[in-house]
Amino acid sequence: MRIGRGPATVIGSNSRKPGHPPLAQRPAPFARKGDAGSPRASRGAFFSSRRISRRNRGGFLKTTLPPRLRHAALAAFVAFLCAAAPSHAQSATHPPTEPPPFREVVDETGRTVRIPQPVRRIVSLAPSLTETIYALGLQDRLVGDTDDCDYPPDAQKKTKVGGGINPSLEVIASLHPDLVLATKSFNRPETTHALDQLGIASYATDPHSVADIIASTKTLADVLGVPEAGASVAEEMQHRLADLQQRLEDLPPKRVLFVVWTQPLISTGQHTFLADALHYAGAISIVDSSRDWPQVNLEEVARLQPDLLVFAESQPGSTSREMEKLAILPAWKILHAVRDRRYAAISDAVNRPAPRIVSAIEELARQLHPAAFAEKPSDSKKESEKENPPSRPVALRASSPNLFPPHRYSSSMGGCACSR
Amino acid sequence: MQPLTFRKLLFHCLLLLIILFLVVVVALKFGAVPVSLYALGRDLLRVVLGQSSQMSSDYGLIIQNIRLPRIILGILVGASLSVAGTSFQALLRNPLADPYVLGVSSGAALGAIFALIAEPHLTLPPVFAALLTPLCAFLGAAATITAVYFLGRREGQIDSTTLLLGGVITASFLSAIITFLMSTVNSGNTRGMVFWLMGNLSTSFQKSTYWFLAAGFVAATGVIYASANDLNLLLSGEKEAMHLGVDVRRVRFVVYIAASLLTGLAVSVSGAVGYVGLIVPHVMRLIYGSDHRTLIPAAALGGAIAVVIADTLARIVVAPSELAVGAVTAVAGAPLFIYLLRRRPA
Repeated sequence: MRIGRGPATVIGSNSRKPGHPPLAQRPAPFARKGDAGSPRASRGAFFSSRRISRRNRGGFLKTTLPPRLRHAALAAFVAFLCAAAPSHAQSATHPPTEPPPFREVVDETGRTVRIPQPVRRIVSLAPSLTETIYALGLQDRLVGDTDDCDYPPDAQKKTKVGGGINPSLEVIASLHPDLVLATKSFNRPETTHALDQLGIASYATDPHSVADIIASTKTLADVLGVPEAGASVAEEMQHRLADLQQRLEDLPPKRVLFVVWTQPLISTGQHTFLADALHYAGAISIVDSSRDWPQVNLEEVARLQPDLLVFAESQPGSTSREMEKLAILPAWKILHAVRDRRYAAISDAVNRPAPRIVSAIEELARQLHPAAFAEKPSDSKKESEKENPPSRPVALRASSPNLFPPHRYSSSMGGCACSR
Repeated sequence: MQPLTFRKLLFHCLLLLIILFLVVVVALKFGAVPVSLYALGRDLLRVVLGQSSQMSSDYGLIIQNIRLPRIILGILVGASLSVAGTSFQALLRNPLADPYVLGVSSGAALGAIFALIAEPHLTLPPVFAALLTPLCAFLGAAATITAVYFLGRREGQIDSTTLLLGGVITASFLSAIITFLMSTVNSGNTRGMVFWLMGNLSTSFQKSTYWFLAAGFVAATGVIYASANDLNLLLSGEKEAMHLGVDVRRVRFVVYIAASLLTGLAVSVSGAVGYVGLIVPHVMRLIYGSDHRTLIPAAALGGAIAVVIADTLARIVVAPSELAVGAVTAVAGAPLFIYLLRRRPA
């Protein structure tokens, strides 16, 4: 049986590690660290009782207790489980002195997840989720993230659990997270399934539009126990998008080609949050495809002649180099936008369904419709650009401080701003 | 063996040439952007007359700058792969041999992937940056060819079985490295790499690249064709060929290098387009027999026809999106191969 095998392996490898804290101090192998010394009553409730009994009967008791105590402990353990199982089933009727240790939520992929409360140790499996956690001011609770989580720079210092596609379950388990966050698009369902088998709660998001990102951030904040921070981040995002919409409402949208990859040309489809983000920035993608990342025929692009090309660049200056490269190729030369070097380069934050996408949207809108932002004196804009070079966008801060009044939100993410 | 006159050869290939011409016209006509036959003829006439500047419409430019180069690329890639496949099948005396069997495509793909990883970190002039990937792919292919050649040597000469096994092992080793790289490097790059492995003709190159490819194709095919008689004799067995006065060592070396270079050239501009080098030679052998003096030109034309048809399908089936041409050749090629396999007399 799979349930029995996985954790037992992990326990075994843990106990062999020299200098590792003895397992006896850690009653549940994957429970949070903070509860290591707490009474057993609080621990049993973290797991579905049937699962823990199967899992621990062999591995945990054998490896941690002297043989003499094993029988007694086993008896006590079974007795405890018998008591614990009904207790959490009827937790509503019990007069609870503490807040309920579990919360049952349905995540965005439709799974019902039981999340231990409060959530104190989080592992993020996607760069967007890592950014969201920082934006919510919860960076101290983030105990692990992926190799791709590079923003804010502080996130690079967190324990890495591997890539989003193939994270190391052992590393995740060793971090004893209360909750693992995943996304449907960046991670595989097999990962959350495997975490379920290990008794580790996981919550998956699946935003498909900018509005989804805002809603998802709010819900996630609620799940993580910081609804106020979520409301304030969402409000900030909505506020800035509304401001943008107001500025752009009279301007015709620019027809753009969003370039994901050049050879072969890959763009974004109509049902992605990226296409939605383009709308908010006063642009419309010329690519009409229902696939998310279609390979696009250059002929079609040449026929439609986009006003400009939009690139999400991970390295400053890479776009201008890319344009020069395209400008010498016969098939690309016939695009007027390439010939005249009409392009917009925005931060690759636009690829991540996280609060920072609003900054990328603003950045794009400024490049596409400079007239709409021209009312401010030009020197103040220059100054702010010097401060925050466009290639290194700053989380959720407008590039011009005058444009948006200082918001409650910016204080709530002090950690993020400092870490820059 | 019957004498082969130039006239006879021309007659053999004329039909294929006509088919290729028709296929090219159809491929020029159909695409994401509709073009009428009249406009097509007018624009082509202008291209031929060197008056391309007179083409006012974007459609003419699309034909000239996107469709035509792509078709030419398809012709070169298809012909190269098919000739390489024919040569390897004769050289290794193994009907299953194809241009990729000796690991050339994996070597090229590895080179291309290295280029894709390194490129963002290098500051190169645009002319060179556009060529970096195909150049690295070709270097990767050349390195693999050399390595497999030394692996396949026994007592100072190439041994067919050792060469084949060495190639297969090299290919799987290189594939493992590719898989490793793709799962470890930054996820942003992997999308381009996947397309590299699938085979794609949508890449645009400077004009000089096409001339270079064409020159390489003509040179390598010429070298192989010069050994066509020797390849015919090799079919009856290596010992027999040696007794009939064939310098088997020299033929094996020359044909191996030329065919590998053809494969390397094709892979470096298109990725691994599968099945063409396997199926087309077999089909041509069924039609024209296994005299390499007719088979090699026939295979070149047949390969060109097959790839241009496949790429036209790749362009129009899901227009305005595209498929990878490697996916089309695989879907069409695998059933065809099974059919050929089953109908072959036991």
